[in-house]
Amino acid sequence: MDNQGHGHGQNPSMGIVGNGPQLPYGSNPYQASHITGSPGMVVASPGTIQSTGQPAATQLGQHQLAYQQQQQQLQQRLQAFWANQYQEIKKVTDFKNHSLPLARIKKIMKADEDVRMISAEAPVIFARACEMFILELTLRSWNHTEENKRRTLQKNDIAAAITRTDIFDFLVDIVPREDLKDEVLASMPRGTVPVTGPAEALPYCYIPPQHAQQVGAAGVMMGNKPVMDPYAQQSHPYNMAPQMWPQLLPPPPPEQQQSSPDQ
Amino acid sequence: MSEAEELPRSIMRRVVKYKLSRCSEDGEISVSKDGLLAFSESGRIFIHYLSATANDICKESKRQIINVENVFKALEETEFPEFVCPLKASLEEFRKKNARKKVVVSKGKEDEPKKKRKLEGESSDKGEGSEKGEDNDKGEDSDKGVSGDDQ
Repeated sequence: MDNQGHGHGQNPSMGIVGNGPQLPYGSNPYQASHITGSPGMVVASPGTIQSTGQPAATQLGQHQLAYQQQQQQLQQRLQAFWANQYQEIKKVTDFKNHSLPLARIKKIMKADEDVRMISAEAPVIFARACEMFILELTLRSWNHTEENKRRTLQKNDIAAAITRTDIFDFLVDIVPREDLKDEVLASMPRGTVPVTGPAEALPYCYIPPQHAQQVGAAGVMMGNKPVMDPYAQQSHPYNMAPQMWPQLLPPPPPEQQQSSPDQ
Repeated sequence: MSEAEELPRSIMRRVVKYKLSRCSEDGEISVSKDGLLAFSESGRIFIHYLSATANDICKESKRQIINVENVFKALEETEFPEFVCPLKASLEEFRKKNARKKVVVSKGKEDEPKKKRKLEGESSDKGEGSEKGEDNDKGEDSDKGVSGDDQ
């Protein structure tokens, strides 16, 4: 039995109560009158329970304490490890590797006939500078995309970024003219847009000094009331549109001006 | 404009997408095809513009080779002075990488002569044997020839 038990990896003391004679669980050494439990149940004396129970409890407590300490140590190690990892991650700032091909950049540079010899480090700088330039242009284009509440960056956004930014003036050739006109008109305030042609294209019309004083710098006589022309240029006070010529009346004689309207 | 002069669109897309992903956190932003082409074209024109300016500076200083200092001056002249500091940093990184590569290459070159010597030694031993063999063959042939003549 014992050998079989050992062979199966069982504890040899299993199924045995106390330090008394080794009896199987099924046996009943006590009389039925002394036992309140079921007939097949085995009850050991309280002394034996205490003697075996106390060391087990203390062992359990010790095991639990040791386990808790191990867990705490592991957690501390983990925290320290991840703290180090985060520090290393923070140190690494340049995750991207978008370097443009140096041979292609050299070809673009050599396309200009004036450019003859280039140092080995120059294309590296050009590649990085071009990347930074594209990033800058992207940011400014994205601002325009957001203004129009869109989720797709389009060519007209790039065009807008170019027209808005002075340092991108060298790129105006890549923007279609229609887009440029729309953008310029949208950006200009309404009052500044001239309705008539340029001032130099209009013919001259002589106005006598008295009349000019009455009317003002850029005015038209409608009967006896001066009407201001909002689009007339201040620099050319005598410029009048052709359709306004017939409306100019000669100044009334001084007698009529002095006489009262009742007479 | 030939396609060889164009900047690669895949890299341009990557650069633009990288920036857009950092600009907006709430979702994916797409870039239209003509937009990507415009970015590529603007990058090419920027390189032309910068190289022309750097070349002018180079000519002013009566030199033929466009060097890094000319490029930095050109950036300041073309109103991109904020690019200079990060570019100097990246140049330092590039120089460090190059220095490491040179060290590795020089070590490799130092090891190569030793290997060559060993190989030469082995080949010379083999060569001597083969030369002797050739001589023997020639000798045999000549003897045969002589003997043939005598007969």
